[in-house]
Amino acid sequence: MSVIPTHISQHICSMWMAETIMTYLRIDEHHNLIDWGGHPVHYGLSELTSGQSATDSLYFLEGMLTVPHTQILKFVRIGNDRSAHIHIIPFEREIWVILIDATEEHDQTQAMQQQLNELSILTYRQTQLLQDLEITRQTLQSEKQHLEKASQLKSQFIATLSHELRSPLTSIVDSADLLKTLQQTQLQEEKYLQSVQKNAQHLLGLIDNLLNQAQLEIGQTVLQPVNYEIELLADNLKTLFLSTALKKGLQFQVEVNVGMPRRLTLDPLRFQQILINLISNALKFTQQGSVQVQLYWQAPDRLYFKVTDTGQGISQETQQTLFMPFQRGEDAKNLSGTGLGLAISHQLVNLMQGNLTVTSTLGQGTVFQGYIQVGLVHSPLVSNIHTNHLKVLVVDDSPEFCALMENYLREGGYGVLIAENGEKAIQLALEEQPCLVLMDVHLPGINGYAASQELRKQRFNQPIIAISASALPQDRKYAFEVGCQQYLIKPISSNHLLEEIKRLII
Amino acid sequence: MASVQKKICMIGDFSVGKTSLVARFVRQAFSDKYLTTVGVKIDTKTIDLPTGQQVKLILWDIAGTDALNTTTASYLRGAAGYLLVIDGTRFPTWQSALNLQKAVTAQLGNKPFVALLNKADLVEQWEIDEQLVQDQQQQGWSILKTSAKTGLGVEESFLYLAKATLETH
Repeated sequence: MSVIPTHISQHICSMWMAETIMTYLRIDEHHNLIDWGGHPVHYGLSELTSGQSATDSLYFLEGMLTVPHTQILKFVRIGNDRSAHIHIIPFEREIWVILIDATEEHDQTQAMQQQLNELSILTYRQTQLLQDLEITRQTLQSEKQHLEKASQLKSQFIATLSHELRSPLTSIVDSADLLKTLQQTQLQEEKYLQSVQKNAQHLLGLIDNLLNQAQLEIGQTVLQPVNYEIELLADNLKTLFLSTALKKGLQFQVEVNVGMPRRLTLDPLRFQQILINLISNALKFTQQGSVQVQLYWQAPDRLYFKVTDTGQGISQETQQTLFMPFQRGEDAKNLSGTGLGLAISHQLVNLMQGNLTVTSTLGQGTVFQGYIQVGLVHSPLVSNIHTNHLKVLVVDDSPEFCALMENYLREGGYGVLIAENGEKAIQLALEEQPCLVLMDVHLPGINGYAASQELRKQRFNQPIIAISASALPQDRKYAFEVGCQQYLIKPISSNHLLEEIKRLII
Repeated sequence: MASVQKKICMIGDFSVGKTSLVARFVRQAFSDKYLTTVGVKIDTKTIDLPTGQQVKLILWDIAGTDALNTTTASYLRGAAGYLLVIDGTRFPTWQSALNLQKAVTAQLGNKPFVALLNKADLVEQWEIDEQLVQDQQQQGWSILKTSAKTGLGVEESFLYLAKATLETH
């Protein structure tokens, strides 16, 4: 390539300069303005004074004049919306600042850049939206799987439940038929009646479990803490399970450790329910050896429990889902049960601000242990009360129920008064001053709630136990509001009734 | 008291609101329309400090970028401090600010700066975790929330930086 002669390059230069809006500023070594040329007004630089500090009037040069060699600043917009390429050139102790107008080029570049930036933001927002959608999709998918699993479990549960309900019902119907149609000896009659009773109890247990689970699921279970003697609980458990254990040839022990306070504030029915579920389970899956229950105290407020069996053990996989409702391990598939017991126990323990865990080794046995939070009662224990001079007033319009209660009460050593309606109940209670009233809430005329309320108005101060077939929390609450001390749901066992009476009249 | 001049650079990713912050500070104006900056736009504003001192701020509103290139670096010469602007509704602009701060420090040395979490009026679309902000503050960063739209924190941010630039001399 040949060298462009000076004449030609000068020609090109003059042509370029003629077409370029150019401004120059000459600055001395002390950064004072010497002179200028071109079009400073083009950039709003109208008040220039020779000899003054250049950065006073040429503010854009602040900090820029100490340059060892040429600096080029592209697209500098300094006023009047004009953009320039600024060249700062040190030359023989002076500094030349050349401004070459670049407004047109700036506007073209800006239009292009604007499109690129807007596109980039749109892409970013779109990506974010897609990510959000993906998260929502995954959440919905997970929810769907969860619901499908729940639905599957409920279906399995209904299938199991149908079987569980049908077996005892068939047995009850058969036994009743036999009683009705055959001439039997007293021993045989008793056998069939026991069968009816046993199967009816079993059905009641199933239905109670279902109701408990439903109430726990919707958060409607309310604890009813009362002062309770822990030895009574241990005795109950022995009474309930000893015969089952003996029939299977198993050792069964309930041990209350030394140091346990005599009385604690807890919901005895619910705590007993927890232990009953754990013990039933242990007995069901233990074929030889023992089932041991331990209760021990840790101050200030923890009641620990431990149910140890020498049964077949639970696999790691089954342990993962053991406390979930309707879950039944492979080993339990051929045994009776609904898969609710452990779930209910677990949820009740949580409700009592406690903890329940399981450890198990296949072939060696299982330990369920945990604790609940309880209150401590510092009252002396009255273990033997003389009941034979105490009268209880039973109020119910059903003669059969009154007769049953009378049996229970007389077994417990109490005298009995009976009233079949609210009016008579009020009259008898005020005249005879019984030590306690068992008040059915559904009575003809003045109902049990109103009768209780009236008794309280008349300053009757003895305890009243409301009795009802309703397990609804609002009914229980209302009974307490009208002055009852306890609310029991039919059917009521003899032990339970006598315990409650004992607790209330001490 | 004699007025001093301080060159302040606005640095940050594109569309974080640098130009809008300058417009709010210098002209008390705001426009929702986005207009990208090419090169650099220079404005001035003289402020009175509580000490009575006047400072003329030469504001270099530099085109948005996520990394410091040669052109952007040439604008930084002589800066007394800078505002590092982040769009609170776009997390990547936080990452850009972290990168830019390191690059600017390498170029200028340790100059005073304030990080501005801009678009505080769109806080429901915020993508920057408060914990992240607190962690960065614990590492010595001054971080202020601003909104060029409502004016929240704008005046305070420039004033804070102006004072910081005077204290370093």
